Amino acid sequence: MAILSDSDAAEVTKIFGALVRDVHVKVYTQKLECPTCTDTETILRELDGLSERLKVSFLNPQTDSEEASRDGVERVPALIVTDATHCRVKFYGTPSGYEFSSLLTTIIDTGGSEEPLTEGTIQFLSDLDTDILMQVFVTPTCPHCPGAAVLASRMARYSSRVRSEVIEANEFPELSRKFRVQGVPRTIVNGIFYVEGSISETMMTDALKKGLEDAPSEETNLLDYLRNEGG
Amino acid sequence: MDLKTGLVGSGSTESRELDLVIAGGGPAALAAALYAARYDIDHIVLESYQPGGQAALTAVIENYPGIKTITGGDIVTAMKEQAESWGAVFEMASVLSAEPLKDGIQIKADSSTYMARNLIIATGAAPAKLGVPGEDKFYGRGVSYCATCDAPFFRDARVLVVGGGDSAVKEALHLSDFVSELVIVHRRDKFRAEPYLAHKLLSCGNCNVMWNTTLKEIKGDESVEGVILNTPEGEKEMKFDGIFMYVGRKPATEPFANLVELNDNGTVRTHNIVHTSRENVFAAGDVTDNDLRQIVTAVSDGARAASAVFDKLQ
Ligand SMILES: Cc1cc2nc3c(=O)[nH]c(=O)nc-3n(C[C@H](O)[C@H](O)[C@H](O)COP(=O)(O)OP(=O)(O)OC[C@H]3O[C@@H](n4cnc5c(N)ncnc54)[C@H](O)[C@@H]3O)c2cc1C
Repeated sequence: MAILSDSDAAEVTKIFGALVRDVHVKVYTQKLECPTCTDTETILRELDGLSERLKVSFLNPQTDSEEASRDGVERVPALIVTDATHCRVKFYGTPSGYEFSSLLTTIIDTGGSEEPLTEGTIQFLSDLDTDILMQVFVTPTCPHCPGAAVLASRMARYSSRVRSEVIEANEFPELSRKFRVQGVPRTIVNGIFYVEGSISETMMTDALKKGLEDAPSEETNLLDYLRNEGG
Repeated sequence: MDLKTGLVGSGSTESRELDLVIAGGGPAALAAALYAARYDIDHIVLESYQPGGQAALTAVIENYPGIKTITGGDIVTAMKEQAESWGAVFEMASVLSAEPLKDGIQIKADSSTYMARNLIIATGAAPAKLGVPGEDKFYGRGVSYCATCDAPFFRDARVLVVGGGDSAVKEALHLSDFVSELVIVHRRDKFRAEPYLAHKLLSCGNCNVMWNTTLKEIKGDESVEGVILNTPEGEKEMKFDGIFMYVGRKPATEPFANLVELNDNGTVRTHNIVHTSRENVFAAGDVTDNDLRQIVTAVSDGARAASAVFDKLQ
């Protein structure tokens, strides 16, 4: 049975009208030990038919193991959204609920005509001399999560120094436990410092600057850090 | 399967002159945007996050006339899509300040500045903090203000809910489907919530209520481990994995403090429902001092405010 309703499909077709370049989505799924892979695959198969600009390919991390390791795929289901030149923007988990909106936005950002970042962020990203991994934990019922997810994806799309992973926290409980995620969105940067909640692009850029400058060695909430600095 | 199709906007760096800026993107702003678009008013809606506001933070809405039951996310998505279909314009930006000009208002947002002839303040309210020790420290580590977002992290856990109004009781009921045991503490001896919700909670199998009880402190090491409560029998320590706070709301009026008169509790002082102390500034929804804070009243205010702007522009 179709997952996208007729009205969802019509809405997405309209949204995809903004694509001016091809966008590739690589979908990694497997049959065994992945209860959410079938739904993920179905959603992407249905999206595939809605725009000629969208090129979806389906892979299996076991049979396509070399490509999976090149793409840095560590778990399934995984989606990589790219203009075919990089694989820095990843989604782990079913793109349902609000995560679907993050995926659609990232597709439009990748194949659209406008750069969605502000000058301050572009400057910061252009000056980066170190690598950043932004892991954004989300749940499909969290309306503030797409803000954090899309911001990380935008930064990763722009700079070859940045990689983003949007992680559906319920589907990867071990990873959520490892980073002690009990509230979403939570953006973990380089596995060490983190930002709680969805914050503006300017604040995120400031938080990243501060974090990279001070290079905390233990888990640090950068927003506390910024707040304390301020006063 | 529920799929949300709304896109996440991006900040713009353009400065612009407009007839109307609508600050906020909750139900009040969404209704104002629908009416403004249909009145053909040159407008923009500035919202910090995804549009939806507090209404998007609840799992079920059962008191919006005409709709028996709907999720908060779905009702606001429908409102936004309807407004957009009439030409409403949304931008993702936080309003930082608003200053009066000779014949308009200067509105500074994250990355751009607007000159508007009129402003509708519809920035609603954010969850109030209780201000107890441990509340900030454990935010995101067991302390939450959004059951819809975070309930899955507390599957089979012991959870405390603080509050006694509609939101506290409704969200406690939502949480009770996930957790093994739920305790709700309320500082009075009966709920303020609608009787229907209160009865439902009192008959919920894994819920317990502690009346005349307040939260004193949240304790833990890396994450929440327990609390100290002030009960009628004295202080009591109890173990919990999570604490959900519903102790009122704080109006989001800081950016407008120099623009319009505010009440002591921070809400915008209104007369004739949506009019403020400044003739080209209107207020709608939870940000005002209007007494009922619901979606149905917020959308009604939003419509009135847009209509007042339309009349002024004639
Ligand atoms: C848990 C919970 C359950 C509820 N259940 C129900 C229910 O069942 N039925 C019902 O009718 N009502 C319910 N309510 C109440 C209802 O959600 C609110 O009354 C309604 O959302 C108010 O709408 P609003 O547009 O005035 O403000 P809000 O919904 O608060 O929206 C304000 C918006 O403005 C944005 N904003 C704030 N500051 C700025 C800024 N500086 N710049 C840009 N944007 C800004 C915010 O991000 C927010 O999106 C519930 C509320 C909660 C918290």
